[in-house]
Amino acid sequence: MAALSFTLHAAGVLAPGLSDLAQLRAVSRGEQTWVDAPLELPGPSQLPSNERRRASQVVRLALACIAQVVDGAPWSDMPLRSVFATDEGTGEVSQQMLQALSTTRQVSPLLFTNSVHNAPSGYFSIAWRNTQPATVVSLGLDSFACGLVCAVTQAMATAEPVLLVSYDCAMTPPMDEVLGVRQSTATAWIISTPGSGARAPALASFTLELEPAGAHQPSPQPDWLPAAWSGHSSARGLAALGLLDAALGAAQAMRYGAQMMTLTRAPEATA
Amino acid sequence: MLGIAASSAVHPAGHGVQALWDAVSKGRSALRANDLDWCELDCWIGAVPGVDDPALAAQLGPSDCRNHRLAWMALQDAPFRRAVSSAINRHGAHRIGLLLGTSTSGIRSTELAYAQRQATGAWPGEFSLRQTHTVDALCRFSASEMGLQGPMATVSTACSSSAKVFLMAQQWLAAGLVDAVVVGGVDSLCLSTLHGFGALQLLSPRMCRPFDAGRNGISIGEAAGFMLLDQTPAAVNFAGGGESSDAWHMSTPHPQGEGAQAATRMALAAAQLQASDIGWINAHGTATQANDRSEAAAIAAVFGGHTVPVSSTKGVTGHALAAAGIIEAIVTAQAIERASLPPSANCETPDAALEVNLVMAQQPSTLRHAMSNSFGFGGSNCALVFSAGA
Repeated sequence: MAALSFTLHAAGVLAPGLSDLAQLRAVSRGEQTWVDAPLELPGPSQLPSNERRRASQVVRLALACIAQVVDGAPWSDMPLRSVFATDEGTGEVSQQMLQALSTTRQVSPLLFTNSVHNAPSGYFSIAWRNTQPATVVSLGLDSFACGLVCAVTQAMATAEPVLLVSYDCAMTPPMDEVLGVRQSTATAWIISTPGSGARAPALASFTLELEPAGAHQPSPQPDWLPAAWSGHSSARGLAALGLLDAALGAAQAMRYGAQMMTLTRAPEATA
Repeated sequence: MLGIAASSAVHPAGHGVQALWDAVSKGRSALRANDLDWCELDCWIGAVPGVDDPALAAQLGPSDCRNHRLAWMALQDAPFRRAVSSAINRHGAHRIGLLLGTSTSGIRSTELAYAQRQATGAWPGEFSLRQTHTVDALCRFSASEMGLQGPMATVSTACSSSAKVFLMAQQWLAAGLVDAVVVGGVDSLCLSTLHGFGALQLLSPRMCRPFDAGRNGISIGEAAGFMLLDQTPAAVNFAGGGESSDAWHMSTPHPQGEGAQAATRMALAAAQLQASDIGWINAHGTATQANDRSEAAAIAAVFGGHTVPVSSTKGVTGHALAAAGIIEAIVTAQAIERASLPPSANCETPDAALEVNLVMAQQPSTLRHAMSNSFGFGGSNCALVFSAGA
């Protein structure tokens, strides 16, 4: 396939010890060392107060990360199309559902509503009164690559910028025994593709290429990220943000099912 | 415009597209009073025949779960397999995309495993969350069954999941990422959705009756459906789709169906058609009070009141949740190919408050273009247009 080109306009970062993009870049450049710090996730201020209290951890995680890029972004007055990419996707809600079903079978309406994979995207649309299409995709640990492919092809087809949100929510015991995600991590990207006419400030441009997976090895997770996050789909998106401070031509390869996706820093694309 | 090269499905009325059409075209319900020995709820269900066959466990090995059993059964369809093999020979396995919808994947296996973990302190030895229940398991299992090695994604936007895959397939083909795409969806009966919809008081204690004055909730079904799409025009083609978000409420549709209207208008624009070109709407029609009212309002707003013929086929199949989109896409394509409109099953007394022209009995129609609606939790809306080939 021909390489696909896209431009990254804004990136949000939310994880223990990484409170925004600036901190991630400082850590990736070696100016700061990553220090574990508990993640406090506030109720999303964009939601009505009754909804705010009921928001699950994963909804809080996704919405807080989105707020970093949407509020004050080049398109803050333009509702964005969105692609949400996640692995398990519901965090403690799945354990609460299973616990209820294995005992009283009394599931609360709120718990069931929060258990759908598109709860974060649904609350996002309500919080920002955004009626644009929102999609939720998953491919396990390869969910970031999957989401990026969906976001870039959607931007190409619609000639509109797309918000990509990649996240993993901490699993609670005993579900963390079968899926070892013990911290919550997230990144949110606003991207556009050439021809969308977007004249917004850019962080960097990239090319994206897919090849059969045998072609070469995936890039190892950079050592500035905690090793425990190698089981987080969104850590691959965090790692890719390290390319912002790399030279043109620098690349990262990541698995995408039976394919290998290579992201390469490219000269800034023309709108 | 994407050609439908082949389709396959298993559903409560049986195995295969022919069995689906036979039941749907006659309005013959495949629902039955809940007889699951693991769920006590007073409701009706649509279960796929043969899903409990013990021989399937050996066949599926560590991937065995109710959801993959449905996928596996649908993928045994010989003409569908031949069409996929031929696409692989023509384009290469890495040039065929896979886009599948599911809401709960193989969660029934996790429900059983979790209960054992709580009772004994240990997970069952053979239990693998990754191979049965994480949302991507469906894609990985189906890709392996078909020998596909291209880009893939599981879509999980509740009941719109396996409708949205059609728009994504179009985007992947347009970007040159792939030369053909298998789209589809699989959802299976489980405690999570049965008790979840029960908690929301949306389960009917009777067979669901979409658009009926006395409708009082859904009947949950299960199904697996697949379609092979490519850029070669076929007898029936996917002409275009539209999608939107309600931005209104997590589990209740907008009262006037504003999001549904937007998705409908976008689908018409994408297919380059006028509202008057659409000869039939295969409605989402779940039979909850709120859904049918909202959808009827949206149809009346875009097409005019009591104009375009409308049916819901969920009285036959039940609501297969994330598999509803693909099953109803298959039904819509069948209706075009067979020039026949299925009735809105189980509707005895149409709700006079709804301004829709319900199809009360099977009728012939020179159908050129038809629409299939799928709306879900989170206010996720999708409308698809299918057209007869030239």
